[in-house]
Amino acid sequence: MKSINKILFAAFFIIITLINHSFVFAETETAVDLDKVMKTMLAVTLIIIAVVIWLFVVYSEKNDNEGILFKTPFKVFKQYITKMSPIEKESEMLLHHKYDGIEELDNRIPPWFNFLFYGTIIWGIIYMLVFHVFDDGQVQSKEYEAEMNQAAVERQILVKTGAFLNEETVTALSDAAVLLEGKEIFIKNCASCHGQNGEGTVGSNLTDDFWIHGGGIKNIFTVVKYGVPAKGMISWQTQLAPRKMQAVSSYILTLHGANPPNAKAPEGEKWEEPKTNK
Amino acid sequence: MQAEKFSYDNQVVKQFIIAAVVFAIVGMLVGLIIAVQLYMPELNFGIAYLTFGRIRALHTNAVIFAFVGNIIFAGVYYSLQRVSKTRMWSNFLSQFHFWGWQLIIVAAAISLPLGFTTSKEYAELEWPIDIAIAVVWLAFGANLLGTIIKRREQHMYVATWFYIATFVTVTVLHVVNSVEIPVGFLKSYPVYAGVQDALVQWWYGHNAVAFFLTTPYLGMMYYFLPKAANRPVYSYRLSILHFWALIFIYIWAGPHHLLYSALPDWAQSLGTVFSIMLIAPSWGGMINGLLTLRGAWDRVRDNPVLKFMVVAVTAYGMATFEGPLLSLKNVNAIAHFTDWIIAHVHIGALGWNGMLSFGILYWMVPKMWGTELYSKKLANVHFWISTLGIVFYAVPMYWSGIAQSLMWKQFTPLGILQYPNFLETTLQIIPMHIIRSIGGLLFFIGLFLLGHNLRMTAKQGRFIKNEEAEAAPLVKEIDKLKRGMIHRWLEKRPVKFTLLSLLAISIGGLVQIIPTIVIKSNIPTISSVKPYTPLELQGRDIYIREGCNACHSQLVRPFRSETERYGEYSKAGEYVYDHPFLWGSKRTGPDLMRVGKKYSNLWHYLHMEDPLSMSPGSIMPPYPWLLTENIDTSSTAAKINAMRSIGVPYEKGYENFANQDLVKQANEIAEDLIKNGVPAEPDKNIIALIAYLQRLGTDIKVNQPESKR
Repeated sequence: MKSINKILFAAFFIIITLINHSFVFAETETAVDLDKVMKTMLAVTLIIIAVVIWLFVVYSEKNDNEGILFKTPFKVFKQYITKMSPIEKESEMLLHHKYDGIEELDNRIPPWFNFLFYGTIIWGIIYMLVFHVFDDGQVQSKEYEAEMNQAAVERQILVKTGAFLNEETVTALSDAAVLLEGKEIFIKNCASCHGQNGEGTVGSNLTDDFWIHGGGIKNIFTVVKYGVPAKGMISWQTQLAPRKMQAVSSYILTLHGANPPNAKAPEGEKWEEPKTNK
Repeated sequence: MQAEKFSYDNQVVKQFIIAAVVFAIVGMLVGLIIAVQLYMPELNFGIAYLTFGRIRALHTNAVIFAFVGNIIFAGVYYSLQRVSKTRMWSNFLSQFHFWGWQLIIVAAAISLPLGFTTSKEYAELEWPIDIAIAVVWLAFGANLLGTIIKRREQHMYVATWFYIATFVTVTVLHVVNSVEIPVGFLKSYPVYAGVQDALVQWWYGHNAVAFFLTTPYLGMMYYFLPKAANRPVYSYRLSILHFWALIFIYIWAGPHHLLYSALPDWAQSLGTVFSIMLIAPSWGGMINGLLTLRGAWDRVRDNPVLKFMVVAVTAYGMATFEGPLLSLKNVNAIAHFTDWIIAHVHIGALGWNGMLSFGILYWMVPKMWGTELYSKKLANVHFWISTLGIVFYAVPMYWSGIAQSLMWKQFTPLGILQYPNFLETTLQIIPMHIIRSIGGLLFFIGLFLLGHNLRMTAKQGRFIKNEEAEAAPLVKEIDKLKRGMIHRWLEKRPVKFTLLSLLAISIGGLVQIIPTIVIKSNIPTISSVKPYTPLELQGRDIYIREGCNACHSQLVRPFRSETERYGEYSKAGEYVYDHPFLWGSKRTGPDLMRVGKKYSNLWHYLHMEDPLSMSPGSIMPPYPWLLTENIDTSSTAAKINAMRSIGVPYEKGYENFANQDLVKQANEIAEDLIKNGVPAEPDKNIIALIAYLQRLGTDIKVNQPESKR
């Protein structure tokens, strides 16, 4: 019996240590989403239900009365964790106390109760050691730093993929590599309607001073992104990443004043860049 | 040995029972009103005295101290006499206790709606009432200990142990938490500031739950449950273990109310680990109660008393499992400041305290009137309506708590808050609040069934004012401490027992509170944090009077979702002049820690006059009276003096000039308001409140955040 005790205790200890290192400590907020919380809630609810059922089974009257005749492994286990005396033998367990008629039994403290009790104490000691002696756990200021760093990293990734680029925030780029990329995109996607050099065929001339939907990087980006379905210009936002739409729009700006051969006649209004304070 | 004849005093028990039922109705009615106000703010009828901020405290105080308190005293006076085989030590003290306690309740019922409050939860009553509470409580304690000392039973029963622990601990809690400097009749400032005040308050608040709502009820459970079931207590050894473990560990767990706050990390961790350690000792009471019913479960089916008790003990087990769960930081990060906590509290309050109280009343009243219960059927109806009420109350609140918390934390894929407008999250949970109030209504209706049933029971019986009894007198035995019998030995020695329990409950508090107050590094100072100006101080007292902290926290937790929403997270050094601290415990509205300079004066002016004008759909009630009430400048000097005496560095003699500064600042704000088109007057309370709100959380924006770590 002693050895079983030790094994059980060791197992309990290990479980507690494992719990220590997995989910109970740091709350990583970025990961809090509905799904995870709901799963946790469900798990907790199931645990509670399981515990209740377990208590119910372990202490149900019916099992009590069948006595020692049926020593199934379950009953042995049950007896081991509850150390409960059969109800028929209650009179032997009575203590000689009587308070206004209330008597007390001398039942042993259930071993499962002791496991729970001493287990939580050990857990508590480990917790304090981890956090405040070995500094292994994250106290809240560090946890916050980690969370903010994580958010900054995620933001960087988003910036790189151009997630924040839209018609409000877009700027014209003059980087050679970008313009080259823009040119490639232009040749591949735009040239069929706007001409190899932007001189305009089906689509409008992109090299003169006149713009149907306004000039400047923001307007061009808008037209590229959403298209002008009524006039046959298609929307590119599902095919080109924001970064690429920016590249091609920037490239289109460089075509201004190129005076290509066979240029289509001007359409729209003359565009003048609004003056901004830089 | 000749048996002695004596009688049990049922009179005082009867008085406490009547008071308990009456105040249960009052307290829960107020609860129902504030529950409805959360979706129908106009239910305060535009009367200042009925606003949520003020009567929420009335609800909590009424149900805790008036309903539960009176039940405790009824149960203690009934059971203690019987397990001690003696009459209460002093009839005078019994009556003094009864009438004193009721007077305190009346004083609370008047002073809280009038706005006299310390703002500290469950300790809102102002200093003269605090003193009265101490006096009456000590009278109860003297009567309790006197009765125990002159008992005829050799040993003290487990119920008595719990009563002793209750008395000792509540005394310590109340005295320590109520150390305050009066600034006038019904106005005071606590000597503790900011983080320290928060720690002391929640050491108190948590243990008010432990030693007012739990230990006396466990004591009563140990008497009334075996009596009603007519079964022996399951395990005497378990009683001993869980009693001492419970009272020793409970006292440490207070900081779990302050997780992710500006409280030092070590104190927070202690709160967490001791809460986890509390599971077993709490469950000790539950299993000892439930296993006492072993062999009597068939009777539970047709005995309403046992039914109430079984649900009560089960609710106790659930709440004491959930509590430690909520003390884990990752769970707390979701649950804190939300309705989840309200649900948790009400599982305990309605389930454990309410249902056990009803069980006890249904058992005790027929005994005291020498008759049977008037209607078992009615009691059964009461049982089911209450159980249903609890379910309808708790379930929606769990959902609303989690839903709102997730909305607060939700970021869009681009990393900005999905619900940047707090109000949106409030409106989302209104349907849940409606269902909750229906649950509350069901529970409330049950009270009338209870009242009617008890009245009819009393009517059909005859009240036994003095119940005759006899017992042999106590013989002094000289016994030595024997191995394995130490506790038996201790049970014969009430004074030693009392001192030992005092020791057990003192350690946790001392270890947490003393270092937080004494060791400077626990609260790193911030040089740019300055005391409030006189006008801001007056505004702060209006904030306290109106109970703004009932719905608005002043504590930004170190989470990205909170710093994005509100601004820099709260630092301990920012609160050093906050007597009292105003962190709050529930966010019905948004946090106000960093509200200063966020909106214009005009916005605040119009918002206080009518919140709907600035935030359509808001459930905040209007505060038009602030626009017409005058600032009480006569109290400024006294307030400055009081603050200086507890460590706020106002210059000597400043009290003489304080009002000049006040008027100057008020004029500036009023001018700004007038310039923007509202007819503001500089001497009105609204000006002071705006001054305070505009100051909130701005000190660290002035220059470098922390001077030393």
